[in-house]
Amino acid sequence: MECDDRPLVPVAATIEKRPGAPAQKLVGAAVALLAAAFVLYPVYYLFQAAFDVGDPNVRPPEAYGLDNFALLPNYSEIMLNTLGVAVAATVMALVFGFVIAWILTRTNVPMRAALEQLMAVPYYVTPLLGALAWALLGSPESGFINQLWRAAGAKEALFDVTGPIGIAWVMALFEGSVAFVMISAVMKSMDPSLEEASQVIGASRLRTMIRITLPLVAPGVLGAAIYVFAEMLGSFSAALVLGSPNRFYVITTAIYQLVSQYPPRLPLAAAMGVSLFAVMFAMIFLYRRITAGRSYVTVSGKAFRPRVMDVGTLRWVLFAVCAVYLIMSVFLPMATLLFASVQRLATVFPKPSNLTLEHYTTALSLNAVRSAMGNSLLLGFLTATIGIVLTGLLAWIIQRSRLPGRNVLEYIVMFPQAVPRLVFAFGMMWAWLVFPLPVYGTLWILLIAYLTVFLPLGVRTISGVLVQLDKSLEECGEVCGASWFYRMRTITMPLLRPGLIAAWLLIFVASVRELGASILLMGPNSKVLTPAIVEAFFSSSSELTAAMALIQTVVVGAVMLVFLTVSRRAARHGA
Amino acid sequence: MAKRGFRGLSRRTLLKGALAAAAVPATARIAVSAETRKVTEVNGVKTAADMAKAEAEGAMLFYTHDSDPAGAAIVEAFSKDFPKIKASYLRAQNGALYAKLLAERGAGRYAVDVVQFSEVSTAIDFQKKGGYEHYESPERAAYPANALGTPAGYFFFSGIDFVGIVYNSEKVTGADVPKNWKDLLKPRFRNVISCKQSTSGMQFVQWFELKKLYGDDYWKEFGKLRPHGFDSRAQLFERLAKGEEQATILGEWAGYQLVKDRGAPVVFVAPEDGLPATPLATGVVSKPAHPEAARLFLDWLMSPKGQTLYQTNKFLYYPSLRKDAAPMPGGMKLADYKLIFPKSMDEYEKAHPAYVKEWNAMIGL
Repeated sequence: MECDDRPLVPVAATIEKRPGAPAQKLVGAAVALLAAAFVLYPVYYLFQAAFDVGDPNVRPPEAYGLDNFALLPNYSEIMLNTLGVAVAATVMALVFGFVIAWILTRTNVPMRAALEQLMAVPYYVTPLLGALAWALLGSPESGFINQLWRAAGAKEALFDVTGPIGIAWVMALFEGSVAFVMISAVMKSMDPSLEEASQVIGASRLRTMIRITLPLVAPGVLGAAIYVFAEMLGSFSAALVLGSPNRFYVITTAIYQLVSQYPPRLPLAAAMGVSLFAVMFAMIFLYRRITAGRSYVTVSGKAFRPRVMDVGTLRWVLFAVCAVYLIMSVFLPMATLLFASVQRLATVFPKPSNLTLEHYTTALSLNAVRSAMGNSLLLGFLTATIGIVLTGLLAWIIQRSRLPGRNVLEYIVMFPQAVPRLVFAFGMMWAWLVFPLPVYGTLWILLIAYLTVFLPLGVRTISGVLVQLDKSLEECGEVCGASWFYRMRTITMPLLRPGLIAAWLLIFVASVRELGASILLMGPNSKVLTPAIVEAFFSSSSELTAAMALIQTVVVGAVMLVFLTVSRRAARHGA
Repeated sequence: MAKRGFRGLSRRTLLKGALAAAAVPATARIAVSAETRKVTEVNGVKTAADMAKAEAEGAMLFYTHDSDPAGAAIVEAFSKDFPKIKASYLRAQNGALYAKLLAERGAGRYAVDVVQFSEVSTAIDFQKKGGYEHYESPERAAYPANALGTPAGYFFFSGIDFVGIVYNSEKVTGADVPKNWKDLLKPRFRNVISCKQSTSGMQFVQWFELKKLYGDDYWKEFGKLRPHGFDSRAQLFERLAKGEEQATILGEWAGYQLVKDRGAPVVFVAPEDGLPATPLATGVVSKPAHPEAARLFLDWLMSPKGQTLYQTNKFLYYPSLRKDAAPMPGGMKLADYKLIFPKSMDEYEKAHPAYVKEWNAMIGL
């Protein structure tokens, strides 16, 4: 692209005159409308249900009122439990995510590439798996660690993982990797000269991290905080497995009760769900207030190469920090589940007669599981691939465009994250059942559902990187006469690459392990795997659950490896 | 398994009156009676379905509350007997399954052919809504009349879920071993006893029946033990097997059998005052997508083949109500147990809100 000799005019004045402007508006408006339709269509049905005070089994509702909301104060203790656990888990997850992202992107820690790969593993596994593994490790009587502790002569258990602290710990361990992926995507796009300048004038590494790195990645961290907090609010598995033994309940376990019982109390569950919109919107409002009017640009016209700091011998300490996290979140849980999955009834000291491969035989013999794995992978691939285009454009519209209503759009795309999936799934089911196209009961409805519920994940991940890019880079292209499509393809997209890859991986994995929407929306020929795994925990055995989940983890891990290898090769070719 | 030193009532007597109040006006009388259709026997299954049409339909869809391995085992066994009909299933928890089914029918979508609910009250409600097709299977003669719904021909009881006491034999010994329901109220079970959460239909039946037997105070006393409530049957039994809890008041026979098979030190006790029980209800839905295949599937499910699978598959383990049913794994027959069912379905259904409130408060929810 070459600049011509035309006289310079103010950029804002040129934008409307550019040939790309109508196309930009058209694409922007189309994407915004599509996303809004995906989200608001089921949300309409959710609100309809929340105000339904007639027979809950009759649709559309026979009568409307506020009765369901009037019952919410009865659940105030559960709401407080939920907030307490969600805040504790979010803080822990962000600390894990930020510290490890900083170590792996900004320092010369040994085995960085391998550690980075492993950091995503906790996110591969279905959340139930982490909770199950830690229940096997840390239950007071039968937990493997406590059994070993007693075998060493102790009388009491070393620790008890059931209860609120255990729930927050397990949630943080496994969601910490999401925070890591989101924050490290931001850190990778950061010009290291800012940190180097800080150190040149005498600031210590810690001071540089706190005073320079942290503020610069604040949008990414805040974006991750919002997403992770919402994930924690909607988290179900850890509370189910670890909370019940200690009589500790959160909002998702209460909602599960409401939708599972006969007759299901969907209107109350919907009222509970839509009430969480208020919490989420307060979070986004806060995010916008904090980030408004400040610049987080770290990628400008000035060229830079991502460089890392030489931290000397401290690198081994930092390596140990990463290793401890990975042991807690990957190796120990995986080893525990592997050990449990080859036993009839898991114990730390199994007799030879207790060892068996029958759980793997059962898992692999289930036709439904075999086809479900294929469906899960196909959906994951499609959702991630379409999702990054959709969410990339949405992030761009929200952060960069001048489209009217772009601020509202940011709130709209967060709707699916604000409501526990178990409830949002009912809204989607009601909505798509009456939609004139025959998508219900097919893979299409799952694709639409996944694209809808993972909009927040993609938008938050990509936005975090997008706000680091200096607008002048695009404007330069614009002044030089490049069309909007050309600028997106040659300037914005390449600079967004870390964010796009992170978003693809996150959406892919999130799709494969999706549970809440899948349970209601899958058809007999469009089954996916995670509901079958969770179901095995409900009615079969922890050992079969472990076997199925490990099979899923290995397959997903292999697919991710292929994707990363291909994308790296493509990047090298491109470079 | 603990010795059960008594003989229960006969199956017919057990069910007598159990659902007497459940008479439902038939709103969807698309009567398909065996009397008006030719009955054939195919692969050991007596059926009034038109086999040629069933095979031409080539498929059928079964909705069930049961687990994935259970659903898979059922449709695979059926398809093995009738290879020209591709049977498939979809499962969800009873409440969610019913909400999904009603939403689909409300939107005019009729993909499902046969549905099984874990609670008879769900089936009765569905019957009231005209959800079932009336079909009198030729296999009905092998069942007691009250296992065929009221009026007969809308759903049948495809299996029985019943509960006793189950305890960990390494943790509970000697005089502490419970023999009847009231033995579980001893303070030694405080913090080490489990139950299900209020979502469980079986837990509702037990609450209702023990309240009838012992009065309101029973559950108040039980609540003082701070019981641990679970949604997952597997979690409940595995924790019991490993000693996290030492006894459960909701010792579902099927769950007990599954964990016992895996070598767990657990013992089933059949209290002499009776074992709360609830049937699974299965029927052909109205406007099925594959009507003949649906009828054939129901006949197969009611036949000795289907019922043997229900009794012996480890993901099912539901005792059969067939008069000629073989003993259950372990050698006992259903008639060996004194089962107690809700006598008034009306009273039972009306008690549900009180149950949910009391139960949730008791388990700290």
